[in-house]
Amino acid sequence: MTTRIQDATVTAAPTDIGRRRFMLRASALPLGAAALSAATSRPARAAVKTSAHIVIAGSGLGGVAIANRLSRELDGAKITIVDRKEIHNYQPGYTLVATGIWPVAKVSDRNADLLPGRVEWVKDMAAGFDPDANTLVTEGGQRIRYDYLVVATGLHLDFAQIDGMDVSAIGANGLTSVYPGPQAAQATWLAMDAFRRQGGEALMTLPATPLKCAGAPLKMTFMLVDRLREAGMRASSKVGFHSALDNIFSVKPVNDDVLRRWADLDVPVTFNSKLVGIDIGARRATFLTPEGERNELGYDFIHVVPPMRAPDAVKNSPLAWQDGPFAAGGWLEVDKDTLRHRRYPNVFGLGDINGTPRGKTAATIKKSAPLVARNLIDVIAGGEPSQRFDGYTSCPLLLREGSALLVEFDYEGRLVPSLPMIEPLQDSYFAWLMKYRLLKPAYMAVAKGRV
Amino acid sequence: MYEIWLGLNIVFELALTALPWLGGAAAVWIALMSAALLRRHAHWREALPASLVIGATFAALAVWLVPFVTRSSISEMGYWVDWANLIGLSVAVGGLAFAFVWPLLTAVSGPRQDTPTSGQPT
Ligand SMILES: Cc1cc2nc3c(=O)[nH]c(=O)nc-3n(C[C@H](O)[C@H](O)[C@H](O)COP(=O)(O)OP(=O)(O)OC[C@H]3O[C@@H](n4cnc5c(N)ncnc54)[C@H](O)[C@@H]3O)c2cc1C
Repeated sequence: MTTRIQDATVTAAPTDIGRRRFMLRASALPLGAAALSAATSRPARAAVKTSAHIVIAGSGLGGVAIANRLSRELDGAKITIVDRKEIHNYQPGYTLVATGIWPVAKVSDRNADLLPGRVEWVKDMAAGFDPDANTLVTEGGQRIRYDYLVVATGLHLDFAQIDGMDVSAIGANGLTSVYPGPQAAQATWLAMDAFRRQGGEALMTLPATPLKCAGAPLKMTFMLVDRLREAGMRASSKVGFHSALDNIFSVKPVNDDVLRRWADLDVPVTFNSKLVGIDIGARRATFLTPEGERNELGYDFIHVVPPMRAPDAVKNSPLAWQDGPFAAGGWLEVDKDTLRHRRYPNVFGLGDINGTPRGKTAATIKKSAPLVARNLIDVIAGGEPSQRFDGYTSCPLLLREGSALLVEFDYEGRLVPSLPMIEPLQDSYFAWLMKYRLLKPAYMAVAKGRV
Repeated sequence: MYEIWLGLNIVFELALTALPWLGGAAAVWIALMSAALLRRHAHWREALPASLVIGATFAALAVWLVPFVTRSSISEMGYWVDWANLIGLSVAVGGLAFAFVWPLLTAVSGPRQDTPTSGQPT
């Protein structure tokens, strides 16, 4: 591994365009001036001087958050971000769109508005990584050399593992999925709205792979039940949940609590039942048991949650786990405490791509982006990573319109509420308000590298 | 400390999404304050009780309105944290109403029968 690091010295942080814009806007605000000025005068930090070239693959929440942090905390570094996508989607809002709570327009912003001015943006996708040569190759054939690499490519929704599945058909024939994007979320709501008027048989699914926001399939189930109840069609409808695992959520207290609630709501769960095929026109789904038994079920409404894995560019590269539980999905081989690559010390991972026991949520990035930035800067400065991540993951679990659970946990699956008075398993308006109104502003602050 | 920092940032980001409204409200408030402050013999003290009552009324209404406009309902207050948040938000709504109503009532209230006041807020 060749890593060119200039003498790392400490200077005062330069003012950037984003900060100036921020101050300008703040000065225009008439209300809460004291609070807002406190928000603008973030704790003074010294910037590390370096001429290192840092490449960030992916400009989702993780990529944008780390780009903002590094451009502020490093003086003289060249920062390049690689991602073709120009629209930044607020994915935690998809469940709100897909259940008729938010309009779809609320989840999309322009990536250009979130990226700091000093970052070079290569509008292409990484086709492969050659970490032995410190090089990333784009689909367009560009070879980009780096001193340090941050992999933040998110994950790949592997619908192809479900025979007959067609993402473009979401919204028709009772076929839904909240995961692929804003349009699918919107189409899912239209299908849910139609279904709740006529009632019938609904199948909700869960794959066996690690998931981003593993609470989303549960939220969709709770909200479907609530929408049927509102429409007066609950009694004439059946909602069944098929999990490819022997649980529905990996954190035991949450798993048990949700199962208790579903027993009360008459949502039977079939465990070890994996969706492997679908006949969209005939509205029939095929489930497979671990013993190889195939069961074909008819439905009026189905919510498909795809298996998830690393994007090919990572999966097929030396950066992926070579063995162990994360190898099959091709997840990034990072040390779960420092989020530094276990074999390539100039590579870090951030967000959904990481092959760590838990932590595929925006809330994970809220806690880990500052940590990855700090650890990377420690390494640039010639030291070792100083910060340790506890795997913080959070998921406001919608129970019905107006109420939610605010579940926060760590790598060990311990419930770790960020405020001591929060009861994670208590039906809560506050948790609902967080999800409905406060999470997007928090997300934007994370993306801008401020929290 | 981190949670306070996060909270401030959330308020700031929320404010950014409502800049035109906030600008309009600020203009109205400045106009009301100017009208009240420029008025000779402004009766700040006399307008105070009625303003407090109106502010309190808004706060009381907000206990029902805040859950409604956030697509929930008062029956969803599950435990004391929910109530504390709702009451906090309602007090904020009441305080805001008071901040507009006090200069408004001061500006429009008729001349006082007894001795003139200093014209300053009391
Ligand atoms: C339905 C749903 C509900 C959710 N609910 C919540 C919630 O309530 N709370 C919560 O905290 N989190 C929630 N999440 C999870 C959260 O949105 C994600 O964990 C978070 O957005 C992950 O950020 P990321 O940067 O790792 O990946 P992403 O935001 O997915 O970004 C990855 C980026 O990498 C790019 N990319 C991919 N491949 C390449 C390549 N080869 N080269 C270059 N760029 C590439 C993509 O174009 C994309 O822009 C939810 C997610 C979904 C889908």
